[in-house]
Amino acid sequence: MMAAGGPRRSPAEVAISAVVLVLGIGVAVIGRSLSGKQGYALVGPDMMPIVVGIGLSILGAWLLVESLSGGWRNPEPDVPEERGDHAFIPGAFLWVLGGLATQMVLVHTAGFVIAAGALFFCVARGFGSLRPLRDLVIGLLLGLVVFLFFVKFLNVNLPAGLLKPLLGAAGI
Amino acid sequence: MSETFTALLNGFGLALAPINLLWGLIGVTLGTAIGVLPGVGPALTVAMLLPLTTKLEPVGALIMFAGIYYGAMYGGSTTTILLNTPGESASLATALEGNKMAKNGRAGPALATAAIGSFVAGSIATVLLTLLAPIVVEIAIAFGPAEYFALMIFAFVTVAAVLGSSTVRGLASLFLGLLFGLVGIDSQTGQARFAFGVPELLDGVDVVVMAVGLFAVGEALYMAAYQSRSREEMQAIRGSLWMSRSDWRRSWPAWLRATAIGFPFGTIPAGGTEVPTFLSYALEKKLTRYPEEFGNGAIEGVAGPEAANNAASAGVLVPLLTLGIPTSATAAILLAAFQNYGIQPGPLLFVSQAELVWTLIASLYVGNILLLVLNLPLIGIWVKVLEVPKPQLYAGILIFATLGAYSLHQSIVDLLVLVGFGLLGFIMRRHGFPTAPAVIGLILGPMAETQLRRALSISQGDMTVFLTRPLSAVFLVITALLVIVPFAVRHYRRRRQDAPQAA
Repeated sequence: MMAAGGPRRSPAEVAISAVVLVLGIGVAVIGRSLSGKQGYALVGPDMMPIVVGIGLSILGAWLLVESLSGGWRNPEPDVPEERGDHAFIPGAFLWVLGGLATQMVLVHTAGFVIAAGALFFCVARGFGSLRPLRDLVIGLLLGLVVFLFFVKFLNVNLPAGLLKPLLGAAGI
Repeated sequence: MSETFTALLNGFGLALAPINLLWGLIGVTLGTAIGVLPGVGPALTVAMLLPLTTKLEPVGALIMFAGIYYGAMYGGSTTTILLNTPGESASLATALEGNKMAKNGRAGPALATAAIGSFVAGSIATVLLTLLAPIVVEIAIAFGPAEYFALMIFAFVTVAAVLGSSTVRGLASLFLGLLFGLVGIDSQTGQARFAFGVPELLDGVDVVVMAVGLFAVGEALYMAAYQSRSREEMQAIRGSLWMSRSDWRRSWPAWLRATAIGFPFGTIPAGGTEVPTFLSYALEKKLTRYPEEFGNGAIEGVAGPEAANNAASAGVLVPLLTLGIPTSATAAILLAAFQNYGIQPGPLLFVSQAELVWTLIASLYVGNILLLVLNLPLIGIWVKVLEVPKPQLYAGILIFATLGAYSLHQSIVDLLVLVGFGLLGFIMRRHGFPTAPAVIGLILGPMAETQLRRALSISQGDMTVFLTRPLSAVFLVITALLVIVPFAVRHYRRRRQDAPQAA
């Protein structure tokens, strides 16, 4: 189980370990700055942040030591094939992330249905779908069904956005 | 005893009312339908369907949730058997044998033993829950803050140490959850912490946003980047759905043994269903008279783990309902659902809202029967759900994920936080950090902090209170042993392995 394959240092592991360590120190420092004991309470709002900060620092330091001395124990294999994956596809990742960003921008402007359609289109594209137009239509329809279900049946309000005149004309 | 019986009977009266029966039916159907989707585990199913209940009255909503909870568990096993992409670690054991059975053209009996086993184990475990809950409540009513705090420490340690391949990364995940739990207004003093002046953060990080972000968005990003171009082979259901006489003979002892393992493991805070399913699998492998079949599709290897899975899910409800302590990610989200209605699970719930609790427990019995009746006949529909290609599947999942986060407060900030958790989930998934401890830390952290501060206020700052109160001391000693013993064992083994080489 130990790093039998000789020295193995993954930059990602070192970076993640360092982030955890720095995060822990930051949390502890902010925790200390919170005003302490108040009134009868003998433990103030500063205690838990300090405990969590120290805990994260210790874990970060531990991970860092492991990452510098032969790598994390029982790591996920670095080679995608060993995990049953294929190589990282940056485009796929970015299409999904971009879809989420687009949806965020559109939901309050163009409305929920259009935002859902855009999200569906981008994510399907990221996953390698070759029929963009069909995806867009499915996404819009799915968004519309969800919108109607929430607004009409559950009484949860969702933004109609650009489709307001259209949905309004249909009595919705 | 007779009191329990009367209360339960009363609960049945309510649970069987047509409208509640309808909510239960909707719950199990939706739970199964979403739970069947590959990559969607029970925790995510419950989180994504939470917004559906915001406008329902509490009893109906909780009944629907009980149905979703059991249905999601059930749906997962169908996916595993036919597709061999376990959406949740609890189905991993089933994947070993169930998918092999399907490949050998025995998908029908595999699905049947999973369904009937889930029903048998779920029903027995619900009976045990009915009997055990009032006893725990009686003990727990005497618990003070010190006992609760010690119990939560116990839960933290087991959840972080047991889940995943690495204790350090499990603990790191837990502490991240604890950190996110600190965000917002401190319940004791009203002071804002880690909100950085963002008004939306003053209410704290919502457990639904976190769970959906980690489980759905993180998973979608991971799948897109690393698995979107791989193809999976789905096993068609050939031949009969029915189990043969020998299938029955081999299944039922496995169901019963699995129930005996699953229920107790569910009740203690050991991360829910993962450990008991593996234990059950190991036990069946040891006891079987057909060892040559294991690894090639042994029916006991499906019957046992699936039954253990469901027995443990019922067991998880014991600490959740009687103590208010969630011991799995799914339970953490169920707790959030309770809190949405201003219902705080715990011993007092059995007194103040007895009717609601017993209706909920009665609806678990009903839900189990509904699942059995619905699922085998509807298997054709679930197979259709499984056939949705990956691009459209994940696109759809993300629509529901963003909907779940957005509809909480109609806020873009929630969507931003959701995507943030998605990126975190991606990194955690890629580097083998378990995500469940983070979700449990988020919801248990603030509760533990409250109990700690209460306990110390009562003891006037005396830290020894946790060791001088006997029950609290017992919990802490067990916790310490859980940490030390595995380390000691590993150390001892390593020394024994190294010794011959050194000589």
